Amino acid sequence: MNHHTLTIQANHRPETLERLLRITRHRGFKIESLNMEQDQQNGQLCIEVSVCSERPLKSLEGQIAKLWDVIRVEESNSPSIRQSAYA
Amino acid sequence: MTGAEQVISALKQHKITTIFGYPGGTIMPVYDRLLDTDIEHILCRHEQGAAIAAIGYARAAGTTGVCMATSGPGATNLITGLADAMLDSIPLVAITGQVASPLIGTDAFQEVDVLGLSLGCTKHSFLVTDPSELADVLEQAFTIASSGRPGPVLVDITKDALLAEVPQQEIMSMEPVKAPEPEHKHLVSARQLIAESQRPMLYIGGGVVLGQATGELRDFIDATQIPSVTTLKALGTVPYCSPYYLGMLGMHGNQAANHAIQQCDLLVVIGARFDDRVTGKLAEFAPNAKVIHLDIDAAEIGKFREVSVPMRGDLRQLLPHLTLNNLQLNEWQQQVAELKQQYAWRYDHPGERIYAPLLLRQLSDRVCDKTIITTDVGQHQMWAAQHMQPAHPQNFISSSGLGTMGYGLPAAIGAKEARPEDPVVLITGDGSFMMNVQEMATLKRRKLPVKILLLDNQRLGMVKQWQELFFEERYSETDLSDNPDFVTMARAFDIPGRTITTKSEVPAAIEDLLTSSGSYLLHVRISEQDNVWPLVPPGAANHKMLEGNS
Repeated sequence: MNHHTLTIQANHRPETLERLLRITRHRGFKIESLNMEQDQQNGQLCIEVSVCSERPLKSLEGQIAKLWDVIRVEESNSPSIRQSAYA
Repeated sequence: MTGAEQVISALKQHKITTIFGYPGGTIMPVYDRLLDTDIEHILCRHEQGAAIAAIGYARAAGTTGVCMATSGPGATNLITGLADAMLDSIPLVAITGQVASPLIGTDAFQEVDVLGLSLGCTKHSFLVTDPSELADVLEQAFTIASSGRPGPVLVDITKDALLAEVPQQEIMSMEPVKAPEPEHKHLVSARQLIAESQRPMLYIGGGVVLGQATGELRDFIDATQIPSVTTLKALGTVPYCSPYYLGMLGMHGNQAANHAIQQCDLLVVIGARFDDRVTGKLAEFAPNAKVIHLDIDAAEIGKFREVSVPMRGDLRQLLPHLTLNNLQLNEWQQQVAELKQQYAWRYDHPGERIYAPLLLRQLSDRVCDKTIITTDVGQHQMWAAQHMQPAHPQNFISSSGLGTMGYGLPAAIGAKEARPEDPVVLITGDGSFMMNVQEMATLKRRKLPVKILLLDNQRLGMVKQWQELFFEERYSETDLSDNPDFVTMARAFDIPGRTITTKSEVPAAIEDLLTSSGSYLLHVRISEQDNVWPLVPPGAANHKMLEGNS
């Protein structure tokens, strides 16, 4: 099982988070933690989501990037990855 | 102007002349305004029929289809059509009425969270409660549906927004999303791989059709003479007379196509996505091939198969960059030609009963190049894919990704509305036909001369075939021997027809079907014993095809 953390910048629509949750589940990833904040200046959402799966992360990243309201998605250096790298 | 008039204005802005739908409570404001426009509304008899007719229209015309329904059951009935358009990447805008905004979330009459339902089966979706957003949302909807990798977009609009007065808004056209330019280093690498390859193959998918790159593909093949295979969605992209074209690959593909792919050393994937019905056992698909993958959708490149050269972009731009002349492929071309000859379809079926592959080949030889074929889903669909030879990919319309039974008749209606001058033939089966049979009323109402070829084995044939092969002949719920009398049923809709049972009747019956002045139903009784061959069993590699006794 591989653990990853993604940082996602997205337009703030009522269903944005719902879209993200659905696609994460459907593409075979489990959410381990989730944090969402709204940027007070531009109104956009900043979402940090930690996921785990046997599937390669890029298969999820590519699908999230295609969501119309998503502006950017990138992998963060999650503690779990660092831990496994140093183990 | 009202929100409803804004909807009409947006349709006109996008030069929409024909829409498919079914009225109801919350969408009534738009239907009222439709009376005062020249937009043609095709009343289907079920919202699923309307959605699929819009898909047929979009695929035949190469444009965006539009369908419309009311809230609640109207919207839920659209869902299968949306999912079909999603899986086949068809540009579709679906407009649904929604209960008035104060009633949302109150379990009001005909209220359902269609935005929530749409999330898994649309490219994007909107709920509009504020009429001032309507113009912008509709503009976005049409742009999203047709740009990049196309797909369905749902616009759900509350009834109060449709009734509200909104100031006349100038609709700002959105810039289409630009495809990325190919990277120079990838172009160089791809050209080098093609130049060095001894056994290259083109694996061509529906992206070529959606990207309107059929002309560029044909030029590329003419110049390079690289052998090719296509998916179900790409049938017709390569001319059947092309010497090194081997037909459809995959589960029910031509054996030559599958063997050639297994032997190749370079796979040039053009607008295809390594679908499981295409690849068979993925780990053994084209095991010795490097891959150049051309696609508009970055998420498809490398999704299932490691790629040597990723090439994301517009196929019309990419293909000319890869065109190389004077490739030395004689030995490989000779092998491919021998495979093609070795595994050519055979039609020497014994006995007097009708053999569907032979009948379809006879039909294919008789229709003109402009004829549009639509199919339903099942054995007849695979036989049609194997034995019909469409002159152009927009002339073969079949539900590929979702495999939607009941698709053929409404798709034929949409295709005929899109191209009224061109003949339309529906190839269907007795199981599928009954799934949207109510659309015969639409044929009657519109007086559409759609020719219906119904292959009737009184079974859910494809399911039965799998029960025979993989479930120890335990036939569960696949017997349809209590089918209605199809010819009598068609007559109830003023559609003439006849039944045939023997080979000798076929030529004259095809002639009657194609030359009748209006719609016509040719009901063909075939044996329940006939299966679709060859077949790659589930989980097997593509070169391990089963051959039946047919």
